[in-house]
Amino acid sequence: MSFTNEELQEHWNKITYAFPILKDTLCTDCTASEYESILTLVTGLGIQVKLRDLIHIHIAKYIRQQLAPAFWNKFVTVDDDMKGFQLFKSAVNDLYESVNSFTNIIQRLTLLNNTCEDYRLKCGERDIASSLKLLIGATLHSQLPLDFQLIINQFYKISFNVFDNEYENSDMGEEMICSGCSSEYSECNCAYIVKVFHDTNRKLMDLDLLERLTGQVLTDFIQTRIETHIQKTCTGTFDVSHINNLENWLDTTVMSWLTRIYCGGSSKPPPDNKHIQDAIFKFKLKLISYLYDSYTKLRIDQLFNIIIEYPDSMPAVEDIKFCLGKTDLRLTLCKKLQIALETRLLHPGVNTPDILTAYISTIRALRHLDPSGVILETVTKPVRNYLRNREDTVRSVVSSLTEEGAGNELAEELAKYATESTEGIEIENDSTWDEWNPDPVDADPKVNISDRKASDIVSMLVNVYGSKELFVNEYRTLLADRLLAQTVINTEKEIRCLELLKLRFGESQLHFCEVMLKDISDSKRINALIQQDKEFESLNKKIVSNAMILSAQFWPPFKDESLELPEEIKIHLEAYTKAFEALKGNRTLSWKPHLGNVNIEIEIGDKKLDLTVSPFNATLIMHFQDKPEWSLEDLHQAMKVPVTVLRRKIIYWQSLGLLSEKYTDYYILTEGGDGNKSHVSTNQVQEMVCEDDEAESAMASAHDQREGELQVFWSYIVGMLTNLDSLPLDRIHQMLKMFASQAPGAECSLQELRQFLDTKLRSHQLVLQGGMYKLPKT
Amino acid sequence: MAQNINPHYASSSNPAKQNEDTIKLKDNHAVSKRLQKELMELMRCADKGISAFPESENLFKWVGTINGPPDTVYAGHKYKLSLEFPNSYPYAPPAVKFLTPCFHPNVDTCGLICLDILKDKWTALYDVRTVLLSIQSLLAEPNTQSPLNQQASYLWPNQAAYKKHLDEFYSKHKDS
Repeated sequence: MSFTNEELQEHWNKITYAFPILKDTLCTDCTASEYESILTLVTGLGIQVKLRDLIHIHIAKYIRQQLAPAFWNKFVTVDDDMKGFQLFKSAVNDLYESVNSFTNIIQRLTLLNNTCEDYRLKCGERDIASSLKLLIGATLHSQLPLDFQLIINQFYKISFNVFDNEYENSDMGEEMICSGCSSEYSECNCAYIVKVFHDTNRKLMDLDLLERLTGQVLTDFIQTRIETHIQKTCTGTFDVSHINNLENWLDTTVMSWLTRIYCGGSSKPPPDNKHIQDAIFKFKLKLISYLYDSYTKLRIDQLFNIIIEYPDSMPAVEDIKFCLGKTDLRLTLCKKLQIALETRLLHPGVNTPDILTAYISTIRALRHLDPSGVILETVTKPVRNYLRNREDTVRSVVSSLTEEGAGNELAEELAKYATESTEGIEIENDSTWDEWNPDPVDADPKVNISDRKASDIVSMLVNVYGSKELFVNEYRTLLADRLLAQTVINTEKEIRCLELLKLRFGESQLHFCEVMLKDISDSKRINALIQQDKEFESLNKKIVSNAMILSAQFWPPFKDESLELPEEIKIHLEAYTKAFEALKGNRTLSWKPHLGNVNIEIEIGDKKLDLTVSPFNATLIMHFQDKPEWSLEDLHQAMKVPVTVLRRKIIYWQSLGLLSEKYTDYYILTEGGDGNKSHVSTNQVQEMVCEDDEAESAMASAHDQREGELQVFWSYIVGMLTNLDSLPLDRIHQMLKMFASQAPGAECSLQELRQFLDTKLRSHQLVLQGGMYKLPKT
Repeated sequence: MAQNINPHYASSSNPAKQNEDTIKLKDNHAVSKRLQKELMELMRCADKGISAFPESENLFKWVGTINGPPDTVYAGHKYKLSLEFPNSYPYAPPAVKFLTPCFHPNVDTCGLICLDILKDKWTALYDVRTVLLSIQSLLAEPNTQSPLNQQASYLWPNQAAYKKHLDEFYSKHKDS
């Protein structure tokens, strides 16, 4: 078969008449009947497959060169949101129209395609129309400008504002500006916007472009909305659970927006369109997980406050617990909480009791949050380390353990433990086997599960130091202080407390304390017996004395202070000792003259004072009874008290107006005189001074005890310096490590040793010469 | 073949020798423990006038110090001694000698001491503390019957002259 040029030209003209796209236009006057004849011609020529492919190529070219650039050209950056809105609308409209103008071609192409034997379609689409849509989408994306989201953003922003307004506002009547479209009410074009919005969305949906073009923007928008909503509703309040409210809100408000967008305005997805339903469902899943995620993040940021307010903040903790299961935020939680604890709690500005309170509520809250105890363990590690370095931790724990009264959680905890431990422990084992859960992934496999769970708050606190002994010792010191400080002692309360502690620490550890309490009741009895003693009675007329008889072996070491009592008192005490020796064979008393209280009555001039003072003060004023003028040096000789201490004590009597300093370090008794002036402030001063006295503990503190341990080293140090003359610091340290390692409290850092040696240098027990320590020459 | 053997294993292939070593080590360990304990005891009691401490990281060589007993001619003097413990301690006595030259009937010019408990009368019940105390009391009560220093022994009955000579001797030699 061969054709002349004219014939070919004629055929080509006919074909281009039917498919103007071959000449890169869309308009044609070709009618359906005309097309039929052309189609027969084409099939007659047997070129249908070639022609179809050629048309496809031309369509693609047309879209690439005309449609897509025309669409994207509308996307110019404008500042005004409304302009952007309009631009986007017209872009979508134009696109929609030009796509519509393809209908003719598509119909013809379909017919043409039907005549092709292979019936092949480009990308496996159902029909020509959908393959065209695919082509458009692909081409549009291939020419995506960088800032296309800007305009889409503007478009959706305006629309969402209107939506928001519809759903959330009911009482905006007063305002002149419509909060939907930010124009005055009289010119409100909300309705127009909504109409355009739905229209555009429907068109995009038709073109299968909705998700591709706007999906990202839409998601971003909704996520921001979710975040702001969460921020707005959930900040500050921890006593309400928000999870249900949030889920509801998502379901009603957000999802209905979404449905409307997808369905072009109707609030329900068309039941027959599976595609849309699917899309909405997937979107919802994404949003729900995002909701949990952002809510949990918010809560995690507030977790420190939540913990502080625990148990009032229980619902919030419940929420977090629920959400943790749905999100992957355990690690974030651990890290953030740790940081929060460190920055807000673990610095020198916080009192130890406050840290302890926070620690306790952390334990409680996290226990509830994560019953396996893994989070708790990780998070509180720095707290424990920090507490270990605080000097007064033990003291604070012990005192809050023993102090009773409202709000003292530790004491309650202790009592609770007592009741719990007696009740069923056995029940646990068998009945709960089916509730067993494996440890979370972040658990430390080295730690025993039961250890983690079983430890209660008190033992967690005790374990801060790793040993019970330290606590027991501190308790002993504290108990001793309290027993000595009170004149009338309520031993019953102390015994109760001791019994509770015994349950926890065991009998043997607290044996000493028991003896101490017994000492107190024994001394009462012995006192009574000695007072009845006939020989003693005569002496007793002048001074009444009550002794506290303590078993030296069992009490913690006392602070050593020297005090020489007046002769009169000494005689009295000796008589007391004799009476005691008569009562208890083989035993004697060694007095601690600086401890205790003295009730004195002072009559001077027309003044009369009743006071309870320390033995120091009493001795001091008694000396003035015999001789009204004393120099500080003489007092020092008489009382064997360091001059500095004396000066401090004299201030008390000076403030009462009984003594005055005649000249430097020389004091006289003032009778009456200017007593009036100071009389006013007597009470005040008394209070002040007493407070000062009370603050001093009679017991050697933990620090002093450590000093005592270092004292053991001192004998070693003296030993080596006597024999080896002089040694540098590190040699001393090394020698101690080698030879004194069995001594108690043997751990001693170089730093600590240096400090210790420094104190020795200061007290002239040691000489430092050219980096070598030496004993001073005697 | 020989060069393929790890020298570590090669050296330990002599079981007899290794055994000997461990026994010696074990013994040493027991002695160290005993000496360690004695040191602790000594530091704890802190007797007036006597003291001793290991010279360096070696626990078997100590330096001791004895103050002259008060109310004797030796009052105010201070003598350093060296104590060396044999591996068989405490079943054999330590070797004790004066480092500070000491003018005494029972101490020779090299500082060697004639004291029965450091020789044939030694038992394992003695320890550093008792040795030092014995030497301290030897200063006050010399055994003039078997003197090592004839001059001192001769002078001893005349305490005033003895003291004069002793003080001169001490101030001349105390820092050497």
